[in-house]
Amino acid sequence: MTMQLCDTPAHELSILLRKKKISAKEIVESCLERVAAVDGRPGSLDPGENSSQDNQSVHAMITLTAEKALAQAKGLDDKVARGEPLGSLAGVPFTVKDIFCVKDTLTTAASRMLANFRAPYTATTVERMLAQDGLMIGKVNLDEYTFGSSNESTAFQPAPRNPWDTNRVPGGSSGGSAASVAAGEAAISLGTDTAGSIRQPAAFCGVVGIKPTYGRVSRYGLIAFASSLDCPGPLARNVTDAAMLLKAIAGPDRQDATAVTKAVPDYVGVLDQGVKGLRIGLSEDYFKIVYMDAETGEMLQKPVPDEVRAAVYHAAEILKAQGAEIIEDVPMPNTRYAIPAFFVISRVEAASNLHRFDGAKYGYRTAQPKRDLREMYQATRNEAFGLQPKLRILMGMYVSAAQYSEQYYSRALKVRTLIRRDFENVFDPGSSYHLDALLTPTTPTTAFEMGAVYGDSVLMQYADQFTVTANHAGIPGMTFPAGLGADGLPLGVQLLGPDFSEPILLRMGRVFEEGTQAEAWRLQKPQVLRGLA
Amino acid sequence: MKEEISVEVFNHLVGLAALELDAEQATYLRRELNLQLQVIHELEAIPLEEDLKINAHGVKYEASITPQLRADEWIPYEDVEAILSQVPELRDRFVVVPNIPHEKLD
Amino acid sequence: MSEYELVIGLETHIQLNTVTKIFCACKADSWEMEPNTNICPVCAGLPGVLPVLNEEVLRKGVLLAYAMHSEIRNVSFFDRKNYFYPDLPKGYQITQYDMSLGNGGYMDLFIPEDAGATRRVSITKLHLEEDAGKTKNAGSERLIDFNRCGVPLIEMVTGPDLRSAAEAAQYLTRLRQLLRWLGVSEADMEKGHLRCDANVSIRPVGSTQLFTKTEIKNVNSIENVRSAIELEYERQVREVEAGNRIQAWTLDWDDEKNELKKMRSKETEADYRYFREPDLLPVRLSDEWIQAVLADFPELPLHRKQRFLTDYHLTEYDADLLTTDRQLSEYFESAVKVYGGDPKKIANYLMNDVLRMLNESGKSAADTRLTPQYLADIVKMADAGKINASTAKNLLVKVEASGQAPNEIVAAEGLGQVRDDAAIRAVVEKVIAGNPKEVEAYRAGKESLIGWFTGQVMREMRGKADPKLAQEILKEILGS
Ligand SMILES: [Zn+2]
Repeated sequence: MTMQLCDTPAHELSILLRKKKISAKEIVESCLERVAAVDGRPGSLDPGENSSQDNQSVHAMITLTAEKALAQAKGLDDKVARGEPLGSLAGVPFTVKDIFCVKDTLTTAASRMLANFRAPYTATTVERMLAQDGLMIGKVNLDEYTFGSSNESTAFQPAPRNPWDTNRVPGGSSGGSAASVAAGEAAISLGTDTAGSIRQPAAFCGVVGIKPTYGRVSRYGLIAFASSLDCPGPLARNVTDAAMLLKAIAGPDRQDATAVTKAVPDYVGVLDQGVKGLRIGLSEDYFKIVYMDAETGEMLQKPVPDEVRAAVYHAAEILKAQGAEIIEDVPMPNTRYAIPAFFVISRVEAASNLHRFDGAKYGYRTAQPKRDLREMYQATRNEAFGLQPKLRILMGMYVSAAQYSEQYYSRALKVRTLIRRDFENVFDPGSSYHLDALLTPTTPTTAFEMGAVYGDSVLMQYADQFTVTANHAGIPGMTFPAGLGADGLPLGVQLLGPDFSEPILLRMGRVFEEGTQAEAWRLQKPQVLRGLA
Repeated sequence: MKEEISVEVFNHLVGLAALELDAEQATYLRRELNLQLQVIHELEAIPLEEDLKINAHGVKYEASITPQLRADEWIPYEDVEAILSQVPELRDRFVVVPNIPHEKLD
Repeated sequence: MSEYELVIGLETHIQLNTVTKIFCACKADSWEMEPNTNICPVCAGLPGVLPVLNEEVLRKGVLLAYAMHSEIRNVSFFDRKNYFYPDLPKGYQITQYDMSLGNGGYMDLFIPEDAGATRRVSITKLHLEEDAGKTKNAGSERLIDFNRCGVPLIEMVTGPDLRSAAEAAQYLTRLRQLLRWLGVSEADMEKGHLRCDANVSIRPVGSTQLFTKTEIKNVNSIENVRSAIELEYERQVREVEAGNRIQAWTLDWDDEKNELKKMRSKETEADYRYFREPDLLPVRLSDEWIQAVLADFPELPLHRKQRFLTDYHLTEYDADLLTTDRQLSEYFESAVKVYGGDPKKIANYLMNDVLRMLNESGKSAADTRLTPQYLADIVKMADAGKINASTAKNLLVKVEASGQAPNEIVAAEGLGQVRDDAAIRAVVEKVIAGNPKEVEAYRAGKESLIGWFTGQVMREMRGKADPKLAQEILKEILGS
């Protein structure tokens, strides 16, 4: 069986297109066929009950932009025919998390609030992908406003399901991005990561995901969750494709005052430089989860499952074999405070960011006739926000109230300093550890079952325990698939590095990828692809 | 479980948030808030140095990578109509919302 | 009612006259534009947008802070002030809360009723922020225009240091003058460039306590600030004398009816939940940057007035008038310098003729074609008797209209004053010959006709004659 175009790596598609072996039209058609085969009906506001067919489909899409993609493909094929220079993503089909504004398409944030919203402008990242001749296949599902780690909170149901096992969640909030890439609906996807929203679903769906350094990629056009933590970043089926996408979207932006002016390295060009002499740390603080017992309020400790630990050690072995040095028992003592600090910081920012959704300027407005403005605001926000936005707004209101903000918000920002310091202490070239990266599990478990955690907002948050530290510290993190668990589901392993160390992390990821090419788990395909011709 | 956010405090928050909730939502949300607050209280146990600075963005914005401020140059936005096309109620180019009444001072 | 004194603090919002808005590249000025035309995704608060700070706003802020004797912070922050209001598209205002650009400061006021006395008005807040849009009532609805959203503002708040409506008016007059002087704002209250809310309370004279205050909002002229404070003073005195307590209301000035209305209390209660704006980095101003901005900081009006009094021996009134406007005062000084003679003469020309001309044309002293050099030239020609006084005045207008040098105009139009006895004598004889009736009347004793005869001669000579000489010759011939 020959590989279909939709399953072909992005960097290969780009070469095939340049060599005129294939056309952009064929690429898009292949992706659209795949969507038709596995995605099922797209998410909608009034979906009714799920059918059994629904329960076996991926449901990554909210808005399939087939016509646009075909028109774009036509333009690109003409460009190829005329021999014009092509962009770095020429012929690469991509999906976009539906939290990025794209002109003339719906931008829903997976919320009833924006179900009818057509953005008048395009996010910087998406604009760059289009400018590099990438082909946009569609806008994919997410947790409502990115608020979740399972994608179940979307107002657009059926919610996305994990392509490896459709009874499992794809993770979140970039669940649609991870699922669409894993299922071959597109080669790459643009997601966002506020606590692990790229890395956790990437791990759950067996793909690569990068949360870049804060400020490396412009946030302009990304509908904000927690502005000081949000990072747009790539999801892809392999390290090279992720590097290609990162290269396309990174860089300064005059529309984002927090986007750094540092030059963008050639992420693809450095991939084969190996890991010789690089120092990689392992920390026991990333092999246990500390969580609260809902009944007693007691803090409990639990080691991660053996297979999770084993996957990390296996990755360490592979990297060591290629010349990296492995340093064990690296202390990261403040890791456990990352979730409580996140609960505070993200809620304060989210509550404020959601103020603008009031029914006056865009999106949903209550249909009930209202006597005064206040009633209009309340009815609109009540009817259009789901439970998760409401929960975040209310918590944000509480912890940022004048009488509490010192106790909660200021304190959380100081704890953030401590979390950052953990990393500085081990990454600083002058320190005794002087690590180039830390190698950790991405998630404490493989993908959980649909409905198993949803509703318990505290437990759900703990799915991000190993990823959220990077958001607090601003540092880059990358997850890559590192095996399959006993349940047949992907296991992800994470690399965390100092500010702007993406090239190093990518090199490590690439070495692991090459070193495990022959391993049996690499031959396994996601469930939804197994029956396909 | 300690109910730090009482019904009264909760209702105040709902008002501040310009929300209105049915009973079922209110029960669920208040419960989750109180659960999350228990987690948040873990922060209080952390010993913090006296002069510990807050961290706003994680990364250090050194001058060499900090973007310049914007020059004071007018760039007209080309698609104002697309912004207005999203307004739920628009009249004579004005965005229309229900009124906020005034009282005359006696 | 004399046993109560007023305690007033003013909260001013100053629109900076930058080209663009504070956080986006839309024009700052949308005066008389159609609603919702001068907007973009950023200032309209669309999902996903981010603010980018306009550097010019910082420059103007630093100038004003310096003028107000405010400490200029090397590191300041922007914060979010969260509240729901339809003119605030993001649902929060980006402003500066606890670490603003300016820290403290004051302005010294001359008390109009008490010559020589000054009142130091403390500045408790001086920060940058974005303006909101405009709303207006239409029956049961409210109409919103976002054009003004994002216009850069400086909010400046005084301590409760003002003691009368007149002092409040004086503060605003001085502030307006200063803003224009520095070139940071057009400061036109009617256009909302300068807005003022007044916090007003009363207390028994002699008391040092602060009593419950009310806040008067939306007053659009200095005169109305004065009236509103006076009205509110009377109301509070009435309330207290009737044994009622003053409540902390917010009052809205109704411009049409000249009265105060109470705003709904629901709107005024607030917990703004300030926190640092995560979309902006801290504002870091190096000393070098600040020094560069302040390098051409102008001499301020009060100092300049003082200097005019001592250097040029002007009267108090003249010095005041000539320093109302920075361009005018600079014009005056340049003209005096080129002229080299009595500054009072330049002052007279300026105040009597040039100002009137400027008022009529609506031009400022900086953009008149009658340059200080030309004005000095004209005064010098008049001094030397080359032209007479009325020619000099006409010349001002001609220079302004044509932009030509005054001596060129004089030469081209032959306006040089005629002192040639014979030439004038010839015209006098012609006038006398042509008006026998008037000659008869004059000789019969109606000597007041001499003015009329002089006028005839001057007209005949197109104003070039030395009028004194013409009159002498007339008297001589008529009397003979
Ligand atoms: Zn704008």
